[in-house]
Amino acid sequence: MSELSSWIVVVCLAVGTFLIRYSFIGLFAHRDIPPWLDNALKLMVPAIFAAIIFTGVVMVSGQTVGLTHWPRYAAAALAFIAAIQTKGHIVITVTTGMFFLHFLPWVVNLMGF
Amino acid sequence: MNLPFAAPDERKVFLTGLRDAIIIIPSYLPFALVCGVASVQAGLTTSASLALPALVFGGSSQAVMLQMMLNAGELWVAILSGIVVNLRMAIYSAALAPKVRHLSFWKRAATAAFLVDNTFALTQKRAAENPEDPHFLPYYAGMSAAFWPGWVAFCAIGVLAGNILPASWQLDFAIPLSFIAIAAMSVRGAPLVAAALAGGGASLALYHMPLKLGLIAACLIGLAAGLFTQWVMSRKVAAP
Repeated sequence: MSELSSWIVVVCLAVGTFLIRYSFIGLFAHRDIPPWLDNALKLMVPAIFAAIIFTGVVMVSGQTVGLTHWPRYAAAALAFIAAIQTKGHIVITVTTGMFFLHFLPWVVNLMGF
Repeated sequence: MNLPFAAPDERKVFLTGLRDAIIIIPSYLPFALVCGVASVQAGLTTSASLALPALVFGGSSQAVMLQMMLNAGELWVAILSGIVVNLRMAIYSAALAPKVRHLSFWKRAATAAFLVDNTFALTQKRAAENPEDPHFLPYYAGMSAAFWPGWVAFCAIGVLAGNILPASWQLDFAIPLSFIAIAAMSVRGAPLVAAALAGGGASLALYHMPLKLGLIAACLIGLAAGLFTQWVMSRKVAAP
């Protein structure tokens, strides 16, 4: 691909993304957000966070991994418990999840299943 | 010269933001490497590949656009898909609007420019912990001062050196884990939990929708579940 068309692609995505990012910050700079929209936002944010979590746990490189990747599900569940217990401590949650992701298959392997 | 965030309390919050971001950045290394490698494979020149993470600063949209280019689709469809992936940022934008409305245009534009999943998610987490926080901007600037250079540098490694991490380490898993920690703090109460479960489930069921619209659809399904839960709860309260 040529230098020019490469940069056109990059700049188009960058400008489009910035306009989305600025959209409501600009729109509501001088007026209040209506209560119904405020309520809708409060409900959509957890839906997006959960979508990031669910697809991140269940999908690897765009494919559903199924039961062969059971340690991912178990590690995510244990990380969730760690997150609740520590009131959302990020380092402890991530370390717990990564530890069990590799520790659980190791133990199962050791036991000879 | 007038340094930004020179007041001691502002500087403290700036450093808190910097620190909160720095502990998350390593979880993005594998994804950034993939994005860097993909931009070379998709045919972008080296200079454009290095500019992509710096100007767009949005991993999922970079990855989706490059994947569409790899699939040899129309360029405008690839760009459009990348933009659609970032539509969720309109929701973040609306949620941040009340926090930045008293600021100057340039500060509002800068807030928008550095708006990504993580800056928004940490803002939500901080708001749940300190509801009356007067230091939104120093915290946000501190996070951005770590996230943006970190993301650009990691992508650059992918562009110039390729993917240097073994896939068997499954380091990509650290990203959903960090969001588990954030959601555990900010998702409270039945309507929000219902919205999260419905949205998460729908995102899996609709993952293969064209143009990556599944995330937007999942977001609306989560909204519907949350509104329904609020309605059921209000009926219970109203009943004698």
